[in-house]
Amino acid sequence: MSADNQVIEKTDGKEIIVIKDLNKWYGNFHVLKDINLTVKKGERIVVCGPSGSGKSTMIRCINRLEEFQRGSLTVNGVEMIDDVKNIEAIRREVGMVFQHFNLFPHLSILDNLTLGPIWVQKKSKAEAEEIAMKYLERVKIPDQALKFPGQLSGGQQQRVAIARSLCMSPEIMLFDEPTSALDPEMIKEVLDVMVELAEEGMTMLCVTHEMGFAKKVADRVIFMDGGEIVEQNTPHEFFDKPETDRLQLFLSQILQH
Amino acid sequence: MKEFKPLPDQPAPISTTGPIGWLKNNLFSSVFNILASILIIAALIAILPDMIDWLFISANWSGTTQADCVKEGACWVFISAWSQQIFYGSYPDGELWRVNLCLILLAGVIALSFILPARIRNQISVPAFLVLPFVCVLFLDGSYIGLREVTTNLWGGFSLNLLLAAASIIIAFPFGFLWALGRRSDMPFARSVSVTCIEFFRGTPILALFFMGSVMLPLFFPADVSVDKLLRVWIILILFMSAYMAEVFRSGFQAIPSGQYEAADSLGLGYWQKTLLIIFPQVIKVSMPNILATFVMVFKNTVFLLVIAVPEMLQVIMTALSNSNWLGGHAIEGYLFVGFIFWICCFSMSLLATSIEKKLDTSHKN
Repeated sequence: MSADNQVIEKTDGKEIIVIKDLNKWYGNFHVLKDINLTVKKGERIVVCGPSGSGKSTMIRCINRLEEFQRGSLTVNGVEMIDDVKNIEAIRREVGMVFQHFNLFPHLSILDNLTLGPIWVQKKSKAEAEEIAMKYLERVKIPDQALKFPGQLSGGQQQRVAIARSLCMSPEIMLFDEPTSALDPEMIKEVLDVMVELAEEGMTMLCVTHEMGFAKKVADRVIFMDGGEIVEQNTPHEFFDKPETDRLQLFLSQILQH
Repeated sequence: MKEFKPLPDQPAPISTTGPIGWLKNNLFSSVFNILASILIIAALIAILPDMIDWLFISANWSGTTQADCVKEGACWVFISAWSQQIFYGSYPDGELWRVNLCLILLAGVIALSFILPARIRNQISVPAFLVLPFVCVLFLDGSYIGLREVTTNLWGGFSLNLLLAAASIIIAFPFGFLWALGRRSDMPFARSVSVTCIEFFRGTPILALFFMGSVMLPLFFPADVSVDKLLRVWIILILFMSAYMAEVFRSGFQAIPSGQYEAADSLGLGYWQKTLLIIFPQVIKVSMPNILATFVMVFKNTVFLLVIAVPEMLQVIMTALSNSNWLGGHAIEGYLFVGFIFWICCFSMSLLATSIEKKLDTSHKN
């Protein structure tokens, strides 16, 4: 039951992320082992697995927050090589939302959002602010624009972080455990925004343990353990008919409570 | 369903607030504190009256020569008679406005960075600060802008301490930042140069550096090249201060969570955009207390210039003390005065830094 022969999915649509035989080591520790993954435009993928399984590391390789030592990675036709031009080209296409929001505490919400459009995309201040307000309205907090991140609740901060990424009009959004640092009451408001985004056809890779979200929006769910992709399938098959004993064990543990 | 009604706020018990509460909490909270408070109050009662009498009541305030100091107390006439040298050194009488202008410019640039709206503050203040030292040199020297030339051996007094410290701090700030970046850099060349510079200038006493600069360095220059002594001293102060600032900035860099770098990277910001827009403002904020400590240190270190006979404030006082007309032993007055002036300046810097800290604080922690 190897993961390789389980390539599922509709074949239409452009391949936007192609990962081939990706291997990564921290010193002598082999974190990612022969990762092969192809993501098509508009596809929504949820990655889950126990902590230390390499799921965050894998999606952080996609925008080069982590380097890898072997294999290849192509994002939107640009190959990830050790060249600042390629790296910056890829980063412009890829938005990322972090577990701890990582808003810039010294800038107001509006400045957090306009920073990228102004300095990276060289837009005018007025244009950037217009875009920023549009996305703040989409995440339903336009009235907080002039506050600082420290004045907002966790859920609001995470929604600002999502809006900040969207302001760069990325082709792909990466979510690295976006709700893990939030109070139960705030998880819903963030997930709602993510569901909306998914319904609009954004290509998404989301590391999360929110299985309800996975069932609702994912085209494909990936299970990782020990640095490899153990199993990937449609949510329906994934949850109802896990093929490996490892996934069965994992599911039985997280679905118990 | 029952309606939930919050209880109204009530005032705190009177014994825990107000002056009585303060006294009780701070001075008489335990047996040890009561004893310490009584001891200190007794000591103040024993010392203060005599001190105030010597400093103010029976002090000599008016006059121009030592002969006017007839009363028991301090001879402040000594200070007033020498005040021009103490503040301006031997700078020519008719040209003092140039020194004053430089001091006003310095105060103006500092004030500007406070009153300008945030939108344009950096675009105006940063260049203004960086240009200021060179404008001051042009005015003080005068020969390049058509004024009477005043050679650097005539510059002196407290204005020299102040302007030299300010000029060093201003130039050392970007230098220190670059060295700190270099030390964190992945590039072996930048890192080794930065580490060498930082460790050399931080590991050498400033007095040794001054001696090296004034005595040794000229030996290495060709005979016909002479670099002005004050210029050499300025460069030494800049390098010395840069090394300290670099370490201050480095500790600031380490306080910034890695998530900030990652967020900046994921937005696609380049290295300098990330460093200047995201990291630097936060580094400044967390480093503010240490930056101030370094400023104060360099400012106070300017009195060490007396060992290489630069006529800064303390040097002027010592010259005055050995003047044949003032051999009456006014050392206490002189040194007290130097200490007082430095204290005033350092304390104002401290207040300034605190207000900057408050201004920069956007975290809204409770």
